[in-house]
Amino acid sequence: MQNCDLHVTIGKLALKNPVMVSSGTFGFGEEFEDFIDLNQLGAVISKGISLKPMVGNPPPRIFETEGGLINSIGLQNPGFQEFLKSKLPYYQHLKTRLIINFFGNTQKEYIELARRFDGIPGISGLEMNISCPNVKRGGIVFGADPQMAFHLVRSVRKATTLTLIVKLSPNVTDIALMARSAVEGGADAVSLVNTFRAMAINIHSKKPELGNIMGGLSGPAIKPIALRMVWEVHQAVKVPIIGVGGIMKAEDAIEFILAGASAIQMGTANLINPRAGIEVIQGIRKYLVRNKIDRIQKLIGAFG
Amino acid sequence: MPFQTDGTVIENRRVKSLYYILGMDCPPIANHIKPGQFIMLKVSEDSSPLLRRPFSLYKSYPDSHPEKKKRGCLFIYYKEVGKGTQKMTTLRKGQKVNLIGPLGKGFTFPPLPSSANIILIGGGVGIVSLYPIAEALRGAKLFVFIGGTTQDDILCLEDFKKFNSTISVATENGSLGFQGTVVDLFISQRRMFTKNRKSYLYGCGPVGMLKALAKVAKFRNFICQASFETRMGCGFGACWGCVIKTNHPQTPYQRVCKEGPVFPLKDIHWE
Repeated sequence: MQNCDLHVTIGKLALKNPVMVSSGTFGFGEEFEDFIDLNQLGAVISKGISLKPMVGNPPPRIFETEGGLINSIGLQNPGFQEFLKSKLPYYQHLKTRLIINFFGNTQKEYIELARRFDGIPGISGLEMNISCPNVKRGGIVFGADPQMAFHLVRSVRKATTLTLIVKLSPNVTDIALMARSAVEGGADAVSLVNTFRAMAINIHSKKPELGNIMGGLSGPAIKPIALRMVWEVHQAVKVPIIGVGGIMKAEDAIEFILAGASAIQMGTANLINPRAGIEVIQGIRKYLVRNKIDRIQKLIGAFG
Repeated sequence: MPFQTDGTVIENRRVKSLYYILGMDCPPIANHIKPGQFIMLKVSEDSSPLLRRPFSLYKSYPDSHPEKKKRGCLFIYYKEVGKGTQKMTTLRKGQKVNLIGPLGKGFTFPPLPSSANIILIGGGVGIVSLYPIAEALRGAKLFVFIGGTTQDDILCLEDFKKFNSTISVATENGSLGFQGTVVDLFISQRRMFTKNRKSYLYGCGPVGMLKALAKVAKFRNFICQASFETRMGCGFGACWGCVIKTNHPQTPYQRVCKEGPVFPLKDIHWE
């Protein structure tokens, strides 16, 4: 019974299992090779890449809260050119799917990046970040306005043949509406959620705990809200959903799948336990065996 | 190369006031860890606290160590300050703790330690990170400056006495040794270190202390490395949460966990 089927499909991508590692929590992959066999993962997602290098936000960049982590890394990354030169070759040796997370400050930059990544060997798909809460320009504007999101996704869709995933922000009134806009624009899938805008104040110094004042909350604290949003989006769109938000263990992942996610991403958990993704794959397999379910696909949205 | 592995607690004792020593049996890490490197410790099995906590190496005994009983053991020093370290005080002998290490880049040493002034300057629990230097440079003449707020914060005094060392102590309230900061104390004695012998300075302590130290080192032309402590997310380079600002032209924010925790002080960009 070890051979229960964990395959899932996201757009044109067949994944060997539904467990991915989310952008920004998995470096450029190589940071994890001392701890795990990356090839066992369903997919790896790169740190967010922009056209030009970004130096990131001033420290302190992280602060731990009850069951959560607020971060304001500020999308620090070496930019497209340097990424291709120094980071992509490592990924290209992997025998799993590579999805590039990318973002721009303008619509033009999004389109340019999508065009440039198209056709590069080893890249299986793109995850468009329209939702990062840290950078004042760009991100938040696209991710919070359904009309802008629709136009942005539609223009990026025309620029690439790769599977296009749109990562949604939870910092909106109606996430199902945002998901519909992304799908109407041509998204093959949506991933949700990104972090919740948050902050913390040091009462002794009366100063913010983060250099950027505000950051994004992740970790187990956000899981119930993320789960609810996945379920809402599942009722609103037909494309595959990738569930993200505070998944620490297999039971969490299964909850998201039951709520309608075809795949999941581990984020904060990777930082605490680099083996978290692998352990979740094993845990999902055990659950299927125990419940005599031969294919994970039967579990997707099987809630209620 | 770091490992993720379990260690078994062999000792967890209070040294004084809020300071504790935690000893663990963990051969994979004990065999490879170098002075200035650190480990990430999972304090509890639940998510309170959520993240691991970083601790720099105090003592380690590889399998080649003459004392059989100590082989494979690793010791860290910690101060009970928050939720994580409070939970650590409850760890009992025989309990397992999950560790990641060795992590980060450690200290580098002069080619001929015996012909140089080796100066160690530590503030508070920072002095602990410098202790492995004394072990590594056994035989070399050491000048050790230990500072703290009060005499309760003066650590490792007995440890350094075992070496060929001159030890000076500073407390801010004057309860032990020189009254003032450890950097003030060092400045008052700086003329001991003449320019005809190269001086290698190793520092660890609060950011304010290291900033003051950077000024002296620059002025006196000392070669100075310091170990930094920042909030860490993962400890192994994945999250970019622990950065400090350096003079690096393309990537000013460097990871304390990966490019550090030891940096040449001249590379740090002070605000």
